[in-house]
Amino acid sequence: MNGHGGRRLIALLGDRRLAWPGLLLAAVLALPAARTLLEASMWRHMVLQYPLWMLSGALLAGGLSGRMRERLARWNASGISGLLLAGTVITVLMIPRVLDLALVAPAVELAKCGALLAAGAALRLSWRQAGLVAQGFFLGNMLLMGAVVGQLYAQSPLRLCNAYLLGDQERLGQWLTAISTTVALLWLAQVFWWVARRDADTGRMAGTQAPQDAAAREGASAPSPQSP
Amino acid sequence: MVLRTALISLLVAIGGYAAASWLTHDFRVWTEEGARRLEVALAPVPLPEVALQGTRLPAPTLAATARGSVTIADFFYTRCQTVCLSLGSTFQQLQARLQTEPQDEGAAPLRLLSLSFDGAHDSAAVLQAYAGKLGADPDLWRFASVPDAAQQRALLERLGVVVIPDELGEFEHNAALLVFDARGRMVRVFDLAEQELALNYARQLASKRS
Repeated sequence: MNGHGGRRLIALLGDRRLAWPGLLLAAVLALPAARTLLEASMWRHMVLQYPLWMLSGALLAGGLSGRMRERLARWNASGISGLLLAGTVITVLMIPRVLDLALVAPAVELAKCGALLAAGAALRLSWRQAGLVAQGFFLGNMLLMGAVVGQLYAQSPLRLCNAYLLGDQERLGQWLTAISTTVALLWLAQVFWWVARRDADTGRMAGTQAPQDAAAREGASAPSPQSP
Repeated sequence: MVLRTALISLLVAIGGYAAASWLTHDFRVWTEEGARRLEVALAPVPLPEVALQGTRLPAPTLAATARGSVTIADFFYTRCQTVCLSLGSTFQQLQARLQTEPQDEGAAPLRLLSLSFDGAHDSAAVLQAYAGKLGADPDLWRFASVPDAAQQRALLERLGVVVIPDELGEFEHNAALLVFDARGRMVRVFDLAEQELALNYARQLASKRS
């Protein structure tokens, strides 16, 4: 993933034609069979079902009309409230009790799925507006929490959920830690790439003051297709 | 725009705090098991009138069996090869304490009760044999199971016991020491490691009757 790829991903999630697949995904996830399958184990519940609901929310948000989007954006300066909503939802849903309650209390399950849909949509509608600093703040918090919670789950000698086995809990912990670490590294790599490119750009712009110099560098760094 | 964003952000933060606070009983518990123990301590759970089969039971139903004495109970099943064995030894130690340290005058009697959640297999005869193997004193330590599957499910649900099959073909459950009071209510849930605490609490409860 680089800056370009990330932007393409965001654009893809916002493609209006993907709103229908988003709705379909939500419908499939809501099926009792899909629920049973995804909630049968602790790691699938948290690192598969949660992101799938968020993905569905993100795709659905792409289907919003321009006017609706503008209206929402008025309440979401620089994507701050959207990122806050997503972060709050993810944080609250990491409390182990949620996993147990979602299995037995339909109201909690409904609230959980709705919150994840909203979080996915909020992320989609806020990410690009947020800018590098807010994105970094959001990711720094979420990924650190993911890694810490993952370690807690993996290391705890006690079962944190009555409905799941200890081995399952360990696996979830390892998944959470691995995913958080991977995303953090990818994001850092992207930021480095972006910074390096920006430096190159400013270097080039500074170079315009010495036209000969700039022309020489331009020739060296970006040869035109015609030249052999 | 900034003002609206600040307002909605505040609402989101309050909502998140309220949800987290509700889920964790004001940030005191993080797990369902913790919540169950706290809820039981705050509001005792009346035992259901489920029919029992077992060893030397004073009454045919659970609530009636529990009434009149303070009971330390736990759930197990006789085919268990793992954690129930340590449960058995916990109860053997509790029985030894009850035998060597007599109750105060006028206090309610203290009893031990091992409840099986494998009612289909653990008949009265099977329980009797199992009790014999553990050296249970039939007057102090009773064994029982619920033969009716629907009643058994209702009992497990009422007491917050979750039984799930594990990879070894056995059952994992939130094993704990349940304390029933003399009025037939579950009043406390202790961790297996808190055996001493459970015994002291039960003694205290029994002596309060007079």
